[in-house]
Amino acid sequence: MRLPTNLLYLTLSILPSAFAVFADEAYNVDYHYELLGIPQPHTTFFHRPRKDEKATLLYTLSDLGVLGAVNPGVGNVVWRQFLGQDAHSETGFLRPVEGENTVVSAIGSSVNAWDAMSGREIWGNNFGGAIRDLEVLETATGNDEARDVLALFEEGGNAYLRMLKGTNGDVAWEYKDGSSDVPLQVSTNVRNVFVVSLHGSSGGYNLKVTILDPVTGKRTNEYTLTTKADIYAPEDVLLVGANSAAPIIAWTDKPMKNLKVNILGKTGDIQNLPLKESDGEITKVALHAPHLVQSLPHFVVHSHSDVSNRADVYHIDLSHKSIKLAYSLPKLPGQGAISVSSQDANVYFTRHTQDEVVVVSSASHGILGRWPLKLEKGRGSFVHGASEVVQRTADTYAVRSAVVTTDQDWVLVRNGAEGWSRLEGLSGIVAATWAEIPESESLAKVLEVEAESNPLSAYIHRVTRHIDDLQYLPDYLQNLPKRFLSSILPGESAPQKQGVLARDNFGFNKLVIVATQRGRLYGLDAGNQGSIVWSLGAFEIPAGKKWDVKGIWASPSKGTTTVRGAEGEFIQVNTTTGETIASTTPGSAPVIQSTVVVDGPLQKWLLPIGTNGEPGQVPAVLAPKEYLVVQGKNGEVKGLKFETKGDVANPVVTWTFTPPADHRVTGVVSRPAHDPVASIGNVLGDRTVLYKYLNPNIVLVTTVSDEASLASFYLLDTVSGDILYSTIHEGVDTKQPIASALTENWFSYSLWADITPTTDALPASKGYQIIISEMYESQIPNDRGPLDSVPESSSLEPSDIPNAEPALPHVITQSFLIPEAIGHMSVTETRQGITTRQLLCTLPSSNAIVGIPRTVLDPRRPVGRDPTPAELEEGLYRYHPVIEFDPKLILTHKREVIGVKDVITSPAILESTSLVFAYGIDVFGTRVTPSFAFDILGKGFNKLSLVSTVIALWVGVVVLAPMVRRKQINGRWMA
Amino acid sequence: MRISSLLAVLLSTPVLSTHLLVNVPSSPQLLFPSTLPASTSATLTTLSHSYCAPLRADNTFSFRNVTSGSYLLDVHAHTHFFLPLRVDIHEPAHHTPPTKKTDPATTTPEVEVWGTFRGNEWANKGEVVAVKKIVEQGKEVWTFDAKPAAGEKEYFIVRQGFSPLGLLKNPMILIAGASMLVVFGMPYLMDNMDPEMKAEFEERQKSSTIGGGAAANPLQNFDAAAWLAGSSGSGTSTPKKQLAEKGITR
Repeated sequence: MRLPTNLLYLTLSILPSAFAVFADEAYNVDYHYELLGIPQPHTTFFHRPRKDEKATLLYTLSDLGVLGAVNPGVGNVVWRQFLGQDAHSETGFLRPVEGENTVVSAIGSSVNAWDAMSGREIWGNNFGGAIRDLEVLETATGNDEARDVLALFEEGGNAYLRMLKGTNGDVAWEYKDGSSDVPLQVSTNVRNVFVVSLHGSSGGYNLKVTILDPVTGKRTNEYTLTTKADIYAPEDVLLVGANSAAPIIAWTDKPMKNLKVNILGKTGDIQNLPLKESDGEITKVALHAPHLVQSLPHFVVHSHSDVSNRADVYHIDLSHKSIKLAYSLPKLPGQGAISVSSQDANVYFTRHTQDEVVVVSSASHGILGRWPLKLEKGRGSFVHGASEVVQRTADTYAVRSAVVTTDQDWVLVRNGAEGWSRLEGLSGIVAATWAEIPESESLAKVLEVEAESNPLSAYIHRVTRHIDDLQYLPDYLQNLPKRFLSSILPGESAPQKQGVLARDNFGFNKLVIVATQRGRLYGLDAGNQGSIVWSLGAFEIPAGKKWDVKGIWASPSKGTTTVRGAEGEFIQVNTTTGETIASTTPGSAPVIQSTVVVDGPLQKWLLPIGTNGEPGQVPAVLAPKEYLVVQGKNGEVKGLKFETKGDVANPVVTWTFTPPADHRVTGVVSRPAHDPVASIGNVLGDRTVLYKYLNPNIVLVTTVSDEASLASFYLLDTVSGDILYSTIHEGVDTKQPIASALTENWFSYSLWADITPTTDALPASKGYQIIISEMYESQIPNDRGPLDSVPESSSLEPSDIPNAEPALPHVITQSFLIPEAIGHMSVTETRQGITTRQLLCTLPSSNAIVGIPRTVLDPRRPVGRDPTPAELEEGLYRYHPVIEFDPKLILTHKREVIGVKDVITSPAILESTSLVFAYGIDVFGTRVTPSFAFDILGKGFNKLSLVSTVIALWVGVVVLAPMVRRKQINGRWMA
Repeated sequence: MRISSLLAVLLSTPVLSTHLLVNVPSSPQLLFPSTLPASTSATLTTLSHSYCAPLRADNTFSFRNVTSGSYLLDVHAHTHFFLPLRVDIHEPAHHTPPTKKTDPATTTPEVEVWGTFRGNEWANKGEVVAVKKIVEQGKEVWTFDAKPAAGEKEYFIVRQGFSPLGLLKNPMILIAGASMLVVFGMPYLMDNMDPEMKAEFEERQKSSTIGGGAAANPLQNFDAAAWLAGSSGSGTSTPKKQLAEKGITR
């Protein structure tokens, strides 16, 4: 047991400090948006995590499948659980267990109960099929036993209702609906369980209500409501009343003129409630009802037209099982949100309109509280919210609501005033790109004007300009002592001014333009803690769909950013302000498969590639110079070249790479667009040189075979299509992530490798591996291989001999075992490529990003022996098969960054530094210095001590000089 | 608990499924397992099968419906390292449906757990970890412990700033300081000595020096201030017999 621990410490001691995160830089240099996703209307609520305390937390299960608890006081995340990892559909359910410290979630195929305070799981269970609804079974008597949970599943076309025990999640009983009806929802009152399903075909459904006994799970009754004319899809049913005393089911007729309601259990009875139209057709109807069994059976119908919204409050008479209109809330312009909250039997409706928050009791129309709305900035109108009403004294109330706005912010409104806001719209980023802040060109322009005019007027112009500049002199002089002091005193030297976008001398200030799956674009300032510079709703993405962004590119010359979606839509915005310059709607252009930034004769541009990897004809002035690599219809990899004929250029397939039978291509990576190499060789300890194989036209193709558990990697020359190198791994789990990266003269990939029956003879291991390969021109130092004498070479005709084999690189490979899966790999980029590269790997199980130094990942590390002095000089140390991820290598340090899909890097002006931006659900950014910050004085350089040392020396000289002089004179006299 | 494997396959065939409960006990490395963050999770992985379980409120990981096979158990915590374990789940000799009680007299235990070492072959098993079978409500649960490897993870390094005290702790500086003390302190000591004692001391010194009387330590009369100023010279306190300007060039 001692072995791994020792090895761990060995690795730790070897690592130089350059790779670590400094305590004083953490949280200063890096930034992190801890996000949840957009809260859903039915999965967001206030709940008391401790039974005896009044304090509540705000719980939500977002559209991304993140379950989280938020402190409603300040808006920070208390705990999070990412449940959407394996769920294919992200419609989740979340219910509080009233009066207990438990919340129950269901997503995908699993049901879990969570401790509301700590976020730890209490129990979990997993079933086949997909969850359709979840309810907590209320008991009539307030006994202390954990409340049981009802979970409705759809499995193989059948509906299953399972009662899960509240203590451990085991199945107490299971009810299977033998018919092929679509299960919709489950609801309970204390005596009965109701399963509502859609009966019939998609041409129109009837509603079937099955009544079950909650103790045994046996069917007691069943009835059908004729709704064929009104209900065509599950979404048409507005509400199946939750745990209220009289659960209802409600839907509207097709023209939205009437609301139809059935009190569950009342066979065949449909009550018509007219929806009043005032200005224009009703476009949206929503029902809100309390979820507690002790609450009064009241509900509110909230109807929207295009320009206004109004609401009606209805009461259910429990004895007669009838519904009657109690009162109406007046029509108000614009959009609004109504939320319901209950305290004991009282039910409160909180109405959020454009300019006020109103609280009414469900019992009467008297307004309990009215607050004017004060938001810090325009956030669009309210979509939905959850609120908590507290009765302070007999007739004073306080309300706080967490509301989702159309700008996709989550805002807490406390008595009309904004408490906090969370930028949840920033979650679920699907594409991002770095963009330079455009240089301020005013001075350059003025100088240009002066140069062009005649000398005299230019001179006068210049003198007047200098006189004009004098007005800034007092300010400058005033700031001088401050600047001087701030440069000496420790701490962040010059804090960046808020709201000013300007380049800095180090190149840390850059913009990141991101596109989210909900159709929004954001501009983030990476130099200023990732603050949001602008945001824009680019496209309306229907609920349940994701914006499939195929390409995003910021043009440095024009200062614009172009985003292209899969359905042909495209938008061009100003990089710094976010103003839309041009856009087209989805469907107006052909469907595209991917995009690529190409270098045309005039400019760089974003070339869309159509389906099957066909970019189509382009004008000759835009024809790309590069060789392109695209994926065809069946996943085969093709090389393309544009041939200009007259005014147009046509793509010509130059080669095709088809993976072996039953293999499929899972990934193609190329070298990054900005991949400079400072040194063409590796200088060895004996002063000889191993020349790097530096071919810009290479791609690494990953293919897997699911049946045979094989993974193959092919290095292709994109000009000729030659396979330069290939390798195959057996016993690879193709369901686990396989990540790869290619840069400079090396590539790496990671996979889960297992023991296979065929490799039993070899000492096989089980675990995640990272494999690194370096390519050299020749295996002999000081030899450049077959390309030695050729000043220029072509991949198509590698030598003078016709049909000669291509010059293959000499590849040195080494594999290492790593403790966990790598979700995605990328490589740091620096300006000149002098700095060694660092491999950035996302770790989905630890919610972290690790930066593995190249010195650790060196395939030339001596195996099975200690390094020779020459090797030590090169920085090679003995090979050890395991790389433990030392916490000091974790770029995200103590932060937990969940759901990272991609990490993008960008060079700064400083050669030592690379900017890193990670996105997915969370957003994280930092700066890394893989070879230590050698070109900037870091915080370790204490200017104060330098100055004080100089002063101390000066004082010493001043004091000692007369002493010495006296001594010398005395010495002369004595001698 | 989430299963990313083919559920349909699992459910259609009567595959034996085991319920594992991995306990995180209190240990010297981790006295209070309840301080582990809620994001702590455990994965049970083998070829084509992967199970993931979050840490529960009672400091356990619960894996339901695990099929037979040889698994690698990893615990991922943000605050601690855990040792990897090898978990082998066998189908018992008497194949019984999972709901019924298994005959306790089966020869090979259903679940075996060992420590394992990354970078070693899979057959190289470490210490055996004790596995207990608990039968609760007619269901078998196999439980064992997973222990952290070391103390808390240290994510940061503190920058070594300049500190005068740290400089003074340097042995070189300490030696230099001591010798300086001797150089400057000795003459004063000699001056303040009793004349008789002084004479005696000088006598002894004379006799003890092997290389003759030129002797003494040249450092003894070293005048730091004068040397710094680039001049030689003998201080006022220099003993008279000292030869002037020895060894110093002007």
